[in-house]
Amino acid sequence: MTTRSIRKPRNNAGWLHRDWRLYVMLILPVAFYLIFCYKPMVGVIIGFQKFNMFKGMWGSKWIGLENFRFVMNMPDFPVALQNTLWLNFLGLVAGFPVPIILAILLNEMKSIKVKKVSQTLLYLPHFLSWIIIGGMVLQIFSPKTGIINATLLRLGWIDKSIPFLTDGPHWQATYTLIGVWQSMGWGTILYLSAITGINMELFEAAKIDGANKLQQIWHVTLPGIRSTIVILLILNVGQMMNISFDRPYVLGNPMVQNYCDVLSTFVYRAGITNSQFARATAVGLFQSVVGLILITGANIIARRLGEEGIW
Amino acid sequence: MKKTLAILLTLALLLGIAGPSLAEDEWITLRVETYDREIAGLNVTDCWQLKYAQEHFGDPNKIKLEFVSYARWTEGDLLTTALAGGTAPDLCLTYNGGLVQQCIDDEGIWQLDDLLNTYGENLKAFLGDELLTYGQSDHDGDGTPEQWYIPARRISRANVGNFIREDWLKALNMEKPTNIEEFTAYLRAAKEAKLAGENTSPFSFGIYAPDPLYNVRRFTDAFIDFTKVTKEDWFAYCKNPEMLPGSKEGFRWMNTLYHEGIIPETFALTDNDQANDTALIMGYNGFFSQQPDQPWRTDKNYQIELEKNVEGGHWVTVNPFKNESLGGKTLHDIYAPAGLSIIIPLTTDEKTAVAAMKYLDWMAIPENMFAMQNGIEGINYEGLTDDGIPFGVKSADAVPDENKMHAGDICFISNGLCYGDDAKNAAALALPFKGYEDDVVASYADALTDAWTQISFTVSIQADTDYGATVKSAQGKFLADVVSCDPAEFDAVYDAGIQDILNSGAQQMIDEFRAAYNAGNYRGVFPGDL
Repeated sequence: MTTRSIRKPRNNAGWLHRDWRLYVMLILPVAFYLIFCYKPMVGVIIGFQKFNMFKGMWGSKWIGLENFRFVMNMPDFPVALQNTLWLNFLGLVAGFPVPIILAILLNEMKSIKVKKVSQTLLYLPHFLSWIIIGGMVLQIFSPKTGIINATLLRLGWIDKSIPFLTDGPHWQATYTLIGVWQSMGWGTILYLSAITGINMELFEAAKIDGANKLQQIWHVTLPGIRSTIVILLILNVGQMMNISFDRPYVLGNPMVQNYCDVLSTFVYRAGITNSQFARATAVGLFQSVVGLILITGANIIARRLGEEGIW
Repeated sequence: MKKTLAILLTLALLLGIAGPSLAEDEWITLRVETYDREIAGLNVTDCWQLKYAQEHFGDPNKIKLEFVSYARWTEGDLLTTALAGGTAPDLCLTYNGGLVQQCIDDEGIWQLDDLLNTYGENLKAFLGDELLTYGQSDHDGDGTPEQWYIPARRISRANVGNFIREDWLKALNMEKPTNIEEFTAYLRAAKEAKLAGENTSPFSFGIYAPDPLYNVRRFTDAFIDFTKVTKEDWFAYCKNPEMLPGSKEGFRWMNTLYHEGIIPETFALTDNDQANDTALIMGYNGFFSQQPDQPWRTDKNYQIELEKNVEGGHWVTVNPFKNESLGGKTLHDIYAPAGLSIIIPLTTDEKTAVAAMKYLDWMAIPENMFAMQNGIEGINYEGLTDDGIPFGVKSADAVPDENKMHAGDICFISNGLCYGDDAKNAAALALPFKGYEDDVVASYADALTDAWTQISFTVSIQADTDYGATVKSAQGKFLADVVSCDPAEFDAVYDAGIQDILNSGAQQMIDEFRAAYNAGNYRGVFPGDL
């Protein structure tokens, strides 16, 4: 085998000269991030202003931390903060292992056809809008008229509707499990590709050593995808303060207000509905700062434990 | 001296306007907001009304009219974005009072006094002085209010429609209830007799999440003890009727109905409108409360749909919410005479602002308004009655696409069809609902019985901007809790709920409303004065 000798440039200009085509290609993604991700960040300054929408962010009056103080003093804020963390925590505990297990199960399937069909069926819910899922949830879980309650009531197994949507803790469980159902299939994609990347010789060697299926999974598959698991876990922890708007908004209702009100719905109510953009921005900035702290913390811990981390 | 100065200034102003006569030959473009309601076949930015207005107003005045459409149900958000981005149309309309107030506070719109006085003669005549005051507020604090927006005139101010099943009354051999006891007896009897089988759900009810008590106070206000309510309290608690003395008993009444299975178990589930509509047209319900023309509206025709499912099914108006402390008055809230708000953003130049005012003024001339609201005889309607009211008005799908129109959104200085005087306008309301004219007339008559005008304030209420939405959310939770809680715990739940609402910002609102009332900055009616 012959190796092509690579001329090593002596300075930076040399690199640029040699690889200019690659750098040209890099311009587009860099421009994308600058224009659509970094430039809008300047907008966070309105969180520190008494924002006047006609004067814009350069003409509005500065008021320091007043917006933060106002929002955090609202009685709904601690409730929303607590629910956000709690619902995300539940989602992580219940939802994180499921795609891993599913990916391993799918991987072990013998029939390619069955595997492909089940994969597609598992992905499907990911593509449904929460508005549609909200309608389905109402049909299925409503007290009395929902399919589950109606059936159980008719069979005489229960004599009072199960309050899936109308009692706080029940609602939180329903919310979490629906989330798991919706996203589990989609979550398997990364793990499946990670499993494909494991060297087949390891499985063969394990088989020759007399390992059964479970032992192969435990000693080969899982260690093989460990770094993927850790990275996804770190990313998930970083998202603990963020919660989508549509899911809690669509599934929630006034009966479980204290259990379903999260930061995104709170921001919508206290910020957007009255055009209080500065306050909405203040909450958003607060969420981002906490998210940054969480993700950094998770990364440091992962590195201490000898994993690769995300940076 | 002062007089001379004033004359000189006026002359200067007139010259100033006539000044750019060199450019008189140039056409200008006037961009006008309109709403898109997604009516099939109607292209609102290229509709018959636009062509009519262009021909009769635009061409003679060298103004090119352009309609900019925003989706009706998100218009406030869309307009806010456009205003903030400086891309708003020259003539903007919105139902979002908070947005208008913000535009005034942030000084982003034209002050309209001069424009209105110079170019708005017909508009002023159509709206009237009293209505115009709704668009005025004293922003600079000099003691004289300025005109900041043009309020549209509401033709029908009725807001409350309570309906009962006449066929159920017959089946139960009962008279139409005239007070709450009789009404409750009707609901119980209907439930008992299972008039719609297992699905019987006599009281159709769901929480309206954006403003949970807005509709509920129709019921609970009947329980208020007005001997203990001052006019000042009425205004101070205008957004918190649940705290007025006696209201509590109204919520207890609803709690009782809930536990008797008369109010549906699913009432608190938002997004349940579809299910509620279905129940109404399937004939499962014996009572519902919405707008006075609701059963006959073309988009959701509960009456015709009900007849298809239940033979003889018949919704009729009912008026049982009698308040004993007011000598048996049945209170109905009605809209303020002002409808949507029309503003001209400061991004519009003076020449275009003048054109905008001229356009509004043109719209106010009766013959123009008639055309813009009714379309063409033979195409949009069959003919005119002796009173000059169109009859045989075609529904949108019976009109060719190029003639489809929407009266209110495009002829927006009038919220509702206007034919001159109140009597004609009232007659016109029932005319489109062929075969149900008497029902409609009766419904409007009930809606205007013992009517009190909804409250508004002439100054900006900061606490309402800050806490309005969070208070409403707390009220939603309160309503869900007090209606569904264990009757034995009702008092405790009610008290805790009230405390929650107060903590969520209602106290600040009440204080500020009270102060505004005491300073005389209010509009609306106290039922004790009726």
